[in-house]
Amino acid sequence: MTLYVLRRLALSVGVLFGLAVVTFFMIHLVPGDPVQLALGGRGTPEAVAEVRGQLGLDRPLLTQFGDFLGGVVTGDLGLSVAQNAPVTEIIGQRLAPSAILIVYGLFVALVIGVPLAIIAALRPNGVVDNGIRLVTTFAFAMPAFWLGLMLALIFGLSLKWFPVSGYESGIGGILRTLTLPAVTLGLSLAVVVVRTLRSSLLEVLQTEYIDAARSRGLGEWRVVGRHALRNAVMATITVLSVDIGFLIGGTVVVESVFQIPGAGSLLVESVRARDYELVQAIALIAGAAVVLLSLATDLLQATIDPRVRLAKR
Amino acid sequence: MRSSGIAVAGGLVATLGLTACGGGSSGGSDPAKFDAAGGTAVAAECKAAPVKGGSLVYSRQAETQSLNPIDLRNGNGDIFASELLYNGLTRADPKGGDELLPGLAESWEVSNGGKTYTFKLRQGVKFSNGDPLTAEDVKFSLDRFGDPKINQILSVVAVGYDKATVVDDSTVRVDLTEPVAAFLYNISIFPAFIVPKKLVEEQGDAFWKTPVGTGPYRLKKFVRGSYIAFERNPHYWEDGKPYLDEVRFNFASDSNSRLLALKNDQAQIADGVPFSQIDPLKADKNVVLQQTKVPQFVGLWLNHKRAPLADLNVRKAMQLALDRDQIKNGIFKGAGSVPNSVLPPLKYDAGADQVPPYPFDLAQAKAEMAKSKHAQGFSTTLQYPAGYDYYKQLGLLLQNQWGQIGIKVKLIEEDGATGTDRFNSGDYDMTIPYAQFTSDLTVPDEYAGFLADPASGTNGFFSNWSDPAITKMVKTFATTPDEAERAKQWPVIQKAMLDQTPVINVINLPSITAHRTNVCGTDINALGADHLENTWLTTAKASR
Repeated sequence: MTLYVLRRLALSVGVLFGLAVVTFFMIHLVPGDPVQLALGGRGTPEAVAEVRGQLGLDRPLLTQFGDFLGGVVTGDLGLSVAQNAPVTEIIGQRLAPSAILIVYGLFVALVIGVPLAIIAALRPNGVVDNGIRLVTTFAFAMPAFWLGLMLALIFGLSLKWFPVSGYESGIGGILRTLTLPAVTLGLSLAVVVVRTLRSSLLEVLQTEYIDAARSRGLGEWRVVGRHALRNAVMATITVLSVDIGFLIGGTVVVESVFQIPGAGSLLVESVRARDYELVQAIALIAGAAVVLLSLATDLLQATIDPRVRLAKR
Repeated sequence: MRSSGIAVAGGLVATLGLTACGGGSSGGSDPAKFDAAGGTAVAAECKAAPVKGGSLVYSRQAETQSLNPIDLRNGNGDIFASELLYNGLTRADPKGGDELLPGLAESWEVSNGGKTYTFKLRQGVKFSNGDPLTAEDVKFSLDRFGDPKINQILSVVAVGYDKATVVDDSTVRVDLTEPVAAFLYNISIFPAFIVPKKLVEEQGDAFWKTPVGTGPYRLKKFVRGSYIAFERNPHYWEDGKPYLDEVRFNFASDSNSRLLALKNDQAQIADGVPFSQIDPLKADKNVVLQQTKVPQFVGLWLNHKRAPLADLNVRKAMQLALDRDQIKNGIFKGAGSVPNSVLPPLKYDAGADQVPPYPFDLAQAKAEMAKSKHAQGFSTTLQYPAGYDYYKQLGLLLQNQWGQIGIKVKLIEEDGATGTDRFNSGDYDMTIPYAQFTSDLTVPDEYAGFLADPASGTNGFFSNWSDPAITKMVKTFATTPDEAERAKQWPVIQKAMLDQTPVINVINLPSITAHRTNVCGTDINALGADHLENTWLTTAKASR
């Protein structure tokens, strides 16, 4: 197990290095001058040259890349030209809202998805099953932007249960301000949970050990909830782990709709401003999050299902 | 500024009285209230004496990123925050209009043929930490303004600055290397705001995190990417002002979020109201729309290195083929005005009777094309900023209107950074370089200089156009200290530029803000900056 984790971590470093290379050269290839943009388009050529020199943007690309990698190792990610502040300070303030939003969104997807999947699997192809599939697919088909606005209109503007936008920290603040965004994210993800869980539940429910459980006179909810679910949930975990990347991407739109000061919206602003240092740092952090979460998923599967032998993989 | 997916959803959302497109974010002179339902009742309440207290939330399109007025990073997002924290020696009239009022200087004298300005400082002014404003602070701040190594963002307004000298405790003299007619205007805006010498020198960059100024509010809390909160400056120099205890700018780049917050009373003012929202908001009895004349326009730039566009007959034909009424009513929902200048509306502009705008006259346009060297027509491209529904619509309309005189226009949607890059390097045929194209000053000196004075170093504002006769007139205008003389000179330049039409002003645009009916004193100056020291809430007592 330890060996496996170490091997995976070493592999992750390679993946992240590749990501750093691609991000660095892609953002530098895109037209647009960060210094000219930061100076608002009215900077004289001398001023632009001076700032470019101060930021080291006049050095060869490979030198800049080397410096960036060195910075990653030492934890000094440089200065954001667009915001005139250290990258670590800016990102530090914007990571938490995104991370909480993603976790909360996943939670909502599970809270909605798991019971619906069980209900659907208990009466497959019945009216309820078809209804659940129709409704969740409908939620999935709606763009997050549209769904978020509708939720804000209904639960914010009309019912006044939640603010229509903004972000507050603290448990109360998070519940107030991140519930609608998390529901927006969670609803579009719920269909994934329902579909994968329902089909694997149906499969598991036809196996012999379930028949055995039933024949022992266990109640249907107990059979499904305790015995079948544990085996069936593996596929859902795998799919969700793949979807983490989707979730991180999805926060960009949701953060914009609800004006949450998260890392997703920061990435969009940074690309727009050609803020090289910030773009590289956020892409790397998001990449690291995906790689580590996928490792965590594998470990979780091994814990849930002893048949998964990580070390021998 | 938003993704294409969002723009698509915009059409659907519009049916609910919301939209997904962006809009301008400034305000300005001659505030003309829209005919909002309930407007009369609001006006009556606001005629009462202002009430002190309460907090105001302002939902803003542009995020604040820097509190250093000489080192801005995000345009209006930083400028509007600086306007609350600091003052200059002079200031634009809070009520709008292009006249200047005394700011931290109570009076001034001009001597030495317009090369020396002597300022008498206002007595008893204190910074928000209680320290008195001194002549040394003023000299320090103006010297920073005049130093191109410090004033990197807008050194163009420091043209001709030589040095400041402390004459006595309440007098500062500024010497210029040449007469600069717009000098008082140049020092009314952010790079010349006055800051405390001692603290800036002692604290260095750290000062701008918790800055101290003489403005009506002081910093309370700044959460990057989310909001910035200000509280009343108890030492502010205008008697009894500001009225509000607290002002908070919530950053909301998405126009739907701003308007939802306004409708929900989560914000009491919102800026950058999209044109498509004018009609739905007029019907909302809780909201007042405020349209303000600012030096903002849809500037369509022509590259004179492209042969057809260097042809005067072609340029005139293009002006004559524009149906600006259709553009104004169809795209900008009646907001905006038909220009009689190639620049945005500026001080000294002559009216349409003296300098008539180009009429929409297809027959005459075709005649101009026939006279040109490109009578058979030609193909060209037009770049415009991505993410704005109204630029997309405008591009299609221009394609159609110019198609009728044989000009085939290919549309290219560019993101802001790429568009600016190509504009600055002259890599375009025709371009709308900025989504919000606004002069920094209400006087013509800055934009006329960019366009016609090679000394600006912008190569005809990146159009590659030059006209020695107009250059000479602009240079004379910029160095003529006498106001009456300037007012006589400008209309001649305005007409000469319009005749030459080096670039095209498609339409003048106002800035549109919206506020709830309990908000009074929503003064906006001619550059679009709110004067929140004059703002008060009719509900202040109830809310306290």
